[in-house]
Amino acid sequence: MLQAEHLYKVFGRRPEGAVGRLRAGAGRDELRADGATAAVIDASFTVEPGEIFVVMGLSGSGKSTLLRMLNGLLEPTAGHVRFDGQDLTALGPRELREVRSRQISMVFQHFALFPHRSVLENAAYGLEVQGIARAERERRALEALDLAGLAGWEASWPDELSGGMQQRVGLARALATDADLLLMDESFSALDPLIRRDMQDQLLELQKRLKKTIVFITHDLNEAMRLGDRIAVMRDGRIVQIGTAEDILVTPANDYVAAFTQDVDRSRVLTAGSIMADPDSAYGTAADGTRLRTPEDVLAAAPATVTEDTPIIELFTPCATSGTAVAVTGEDGELTGVVPRTRLLAVLGEPMAHDQSHDGSGGVPAPPSGRGDDAQGKVTAGA
Amino acid sequence: MPRLEFGHWVEDVVDWLQTHLSWLFDLIKTVLDGMYHGVDAVLGGGEPLLMAGILAVIAFWLRGLLPGVLAFVGFALIDSLALWDDAMSTLSLVVVAAVITVVIAVPVGVWAARNSRVSAAVRPVLDVMQTMPAFVYLIPGVMFFGVGTTPGIIATIVFAMPPGVRMTELGIRQVDEELVEAADAFGTSPRDTLTRVQLPLALPTIMAGVNQVIMLALSMVVIGGMAGAGGLGEKVYAAITQLQVGLAAESGVAVVILAMYLDRMTGALNQRVSPLGRRAAAKAAAAVRRFRFAHYKPGTAVALVGVVVLALVAGGLNLADSQGGGARAGAKVGAGKTVNMGYIPWDEGIATTFLWKELLEQRGYTTNLKQLDAGPLYSGVARGDIDFQTDAWLPTTHKAYWDKYRSQLDDLGGWYGPTSLELTVPSYVKGVDSLADLKGKSGTFGGKIIGIEASAGEMATLNDKVLKAYGLDGEYKVVSSSTSSMLAELDRSIKKKEPIVVTLWSPHWAYGKYDLKKLADPKGAWGKGEQIHTVAHKGFARKDPTVANWLKHFKLTEQQLTSLENEIQGAGEGHEQDGVKAWLKKNPGLVDKLAPVPGGGGAQQGRDAGKTVNLGYFPWDEAIASTYLWENVLEDRGYRTNVKQLDPGPLYTALSRGDMDVQLDSWLPTTHKQYWDRYKDNLDDVGSWYGPTSLELTVPSYVKGVDSLADLKGKSGTFGGKIIGIEASAGEMATLNDKVLKAYGLDGEYKVVSSSTSSMLAELDRSIEKKEPVVVTLWTPHWAYGKYDLKKLADPKGAWGKGERIHIVAHKGFDRKFPEFDGWLKHFKLSEGELASLEVEIQKGGAGNEKQSARHWLDAHPGMEDRLAPVG
Repeated sequence: MLQAEHLYKVFGRRPEGAVGRLRAGAGRDELRADGATAAVIDASFTVEPGEIFVVMGLSGSGKSTLLRMLNGLLEPTAGHVRFDGQDLTALGPRELREVRSRQISMVFQHFALFPHRSVLENAAYGLEVQGIARAERERRALEALDLAGLAGWEASWPDELSGGMQQRVGLARALATDADLLLMDESFSALDPLIRRDMQDQLLELQKRLKKTIVFITHDLNEAMRLGDRIAVMRDGRIVQIGTAEDILVTPANDYVAAFTQDVDRSRVLTAGSIMADPDSAYGTAADGTRLRTPEDVLAAAPATVTEDTPIIELFTPCATSGTAVAVTGEDGELTGVVPRTRLLAVLGEPMAHDQSHDGSGGVPAPPSGRGDDAQGKVTAGA
Repeated sequence: MPRLEFGHWVEDVVDWLQTHLSWLFDLIKTVLDGMYHGVDAVLGGGEPLLMAGILAVIAFWLRGLLPGVLAFVGFALIDSLALWDDAMSTLSLVVVAAVITVVIAVPVGVWAARNSRVSAAVRPVLDVMQTMPAFVYLIPGVMFFGVGTTPGIIATIVFAMPPGVRMTELGIRQVDEELVEAADAFGTSPRDTLTRVQLPLALPTIMAGVNQVIMLALSMVVIGGMAGAGGLGEKVYAAITQLQVGLAAESGVAVVILAMYLDRMTGALNQRVSPLGRRAAAKAAAAVRRFRFAHYKPGTAVALVGVVVLALVAGGLNLADSQGGGARAGAKVGAGKTVNMGYIPWDEGIATTFLWKELLEQRGYTTNLKQLDAGPLYSGVARGDIDFQTDAWLPTTHKAYWDKYRSQLDDLGGWYGPTSLELTVPSYVKGVDSLADLKGKSGTFGGKIIGIEASAGEMATLNDKVLKAYGLDGEYKVVSSSTSSMLAELDRSIKKKEPIVVTLWSPHWAYGKYDLKKLADPKGAWGKGEQIHTVAHKGFARKDPTVANWLKHFKLTEQQLTSLENEIQGAGEGHEQDGVKAWLKKNPGLVDKLAPVPGGGGAQQGRDAGKTVNLGYFPWDEAIASTYLWENVLEDRGYRTNVKQLDPGPLYTALSRGDMDVQLDSWLPTTHKQYWDRYKDNLDDVGSWYGPTSLELTVPSYVKGVDSLADLKGKSGTFGGKIIGIEASAGEMATLNDKVLKAYGLDGEYKVVSSSTSSMLAELDRSIEKKEPVVVTLWTPHWAYGKYDLKKLADPKGAWGKGERIHIVAHKGFDRKFPEFDGWLKHFKLSEGELASLEVEIQKGGAGNEKQSARHWLDAHPGMEDRLAPVG
């Protein structure tokens, strides 16, 4: 388990003093006037083992700085990083190097392959640092290359490979050390879209088998939505919202997040479970005159019955053919909600900020015209 | 603004360093010289074409077939220009300097790359190193390290360092930060990051820096020729200062060949040593389709085998060569001793220096020539790096140098003079015959007088005296440049028939080459002419009395000097020595006149050459004289000698034990009777070389009317009633008092003043100086008889007793151990006159120089050596 507790990183003059002022409520711009730049402000989160945690934000939002504090490449100005119960911020340089060489590995945006080493030597680099004998490290490097889909390329040189293959080498290098925590810094951003999609699929595929803990940095919301079990959205050094893809889409914490999520293809991200209305809202008289009084009535009248995790894109055809709401069932087959046509269309419109509320843990939103709780500041630190 | 005495501070610092850190400089000099000579022995030792082959194989290995062939052709060209040895010296200098530079520059560059503060501190230092004119530190370099390779190497290191440091720093700084971060992210330690990531990736840039280092080193080595660094630099420097365009071009071509070779090889080395370079080379090789064979490069192992085979062949040839050479080595005066000469590239300096080079080489010396500027030359002579130079213009031109270094210099006398300084115009300039004629003619000459180096004494005289004396100082501007520029300007003007007035001096070859007119100096503003002196390092006369003696007597007439200079001009640049040889051939007998072989006939090896003779003596004048005489003779005959001074008792003991082989001063049968009787079983009496000895009373010859002891009677008033004696304990004193005075009835009349031998001699000297009458106690042999005109008082009654003979006593079996020497000693005889003059010579030379003094005496007695030690 990886925990970040109130991490601050300030560059420039008198960083400690600047942290104090930030805690007292000073803004970023005030600090800049004094020659200090706050890159990360009071970031806290927890990443569960086996989880892909995506940090998303535009460039300059502090996400790369945050990532580098997690493995000690940058020393936090304040706050702690705990990994498997160990406080990384309390370690000396030598112990920190030891942790980096064995427990945490990293994949870079521009691959950062060593041009003077062959593919095999690159993949074996982390093992070489650990001091593992040549035969052993080459065996493990070959395995990792195999996992990354590069079997047979080990004798090549980095400059002979395409971008996607180079990043596979980067991935193999990170996997070869058997580290539990994988930090990925915009690892797919430099690739063209088709390759990027392949790589994302491959990562998800690998994750099913390997169950690593992954912190993934990206500025691409679609990528975040695809990969992330949970997503942290950063702006100006602060984490403004943490939640699942649906949380962020359906109940953005503020205008910024809302604007950010505007262009996301909701129909593929949102699921039936996240937009469905209470079953009793379907009770009454259906369009064809049938009276619906019980869940069984609703199920029988619905044009289709889907599970809660069905992407809403699959609801359009049933809804288009019938005025009656699509039924949503739980794992036990019980009716858990309905998606009427009106609701389906409303979801694809403007984000439902401000007048939305959510309870933060279940991720199930209230009906569109629900209780007007204030969502601001209700960013939670996860479980 | 107050005048900042920066220059003075620097001088103070230099002085302080010279006095307090000389051990450090000596250490550095030893190390650098050792490195240089080691490398030079390897590079310059082999047969040139084989070495060219080795260098070509390296080129083949690094660059391929064509560059290999070109490299061989290039080096063969250097050899055919007769510049091989110089080129290899230069290459050695470059190699040593570049290796040291890289060893320092790369770590400093790495440090600067990792630490911005170091980088900031290093940068201005590098700027100074790169831009400070080389001469500024070359000359202090000479003061610290003497003339030779060391200041050249130091200056080269200073000059070549900056690109090494800068390129290393740049190379490391430009390694992709993401790669360094990646290394860091995988837990690489800083040291491993440096060695596994930064250095390999920076290597191409660092190698570019190394390439720059080598190229700069090569260019600096040429400048180092000014400080006597040798090699092509010296050749180039010599050529340009003498306007020898041809030789300069030849040397220049050799430099260019070396430069191209080094540049291409270091460039290609990058492909071999750096992984990135190997990748690039492999890609390039894969891209080549046609003429694949032309791009073939042998593997490292193949190339290594090639180099080793050639090196072994070269080494084998060398060995055969040196064995062949050993047989023809004959005994010569110089016996392989090395004499270092320096010269300023002035015509008479070149002529005489090469003349002496030839003379000394004929006499078996090894010579080293260095062409230098006057400043480094004098400081080199003062330090003893250079033994002598023949071109000291005194008292005016070189006054500054002479005054500065006179305490470490010996003036061996003038060999030519008087010289003159003058302003000179081409003969076609009409109406200008005297300095006074220049007045009002500035328009003709463009208002300029072409001068020479601003530092030259002649320039000062011109500006301070001559121009003022003739009222020219407002009208003409003296353009200071350099001698070679002045001559070039003169040449140019004469070609165009333009009027020109230049600063010149006599003797100068320009007077032979062009039709020139010296401007008369009716007011004598130039001052009196000078003499050209030979100036040697203090103590050179002790180190090599023979050569010093030759130089002291060295004289050339104007006719001789001009004909020698003409001959050298005729032989052409680079062949000065051939010109000297031709000139000597036309002047038969001159060699023996200028460099007479000690002993007349040229020294020959004795049959027992190589054996070591242990000679003992006690400090009596004739013992010292004869022992050192024989030491010289024995050494000329190829013997080794050990000379030890002992008291009589220990000396006889040592002789009987065989610790000593022989001693030459046994007074027998009386004086040394006790020793002889005691040890005679283990001693051999080789024979007597002098006798009889005698004891006597002596008066100066100017004391008239006193010829015999009997004549002293009644003359006590003349002598103040005193007979000057020696030590009271001496046997002679006893004989005098007990027997002699009584026999002649003088004991009432004269008082014998006992003092000491030296006081007696001092009194004798004082009296002779004042022409006063004196009577002293003396004995024969004694050097006083050689030095003064003395009269022994006859002893008709034989009161002094019979004289003794001086014998040679040796350890038993001496005749078997040294049969040849034994034969010589058996026939050894010196007349009283010979012994006296030898003792006088030794007396003059002073304590500690006995051997050299004996050598002088031998030199002054032609044929003596062969008489004493006949060979064959």
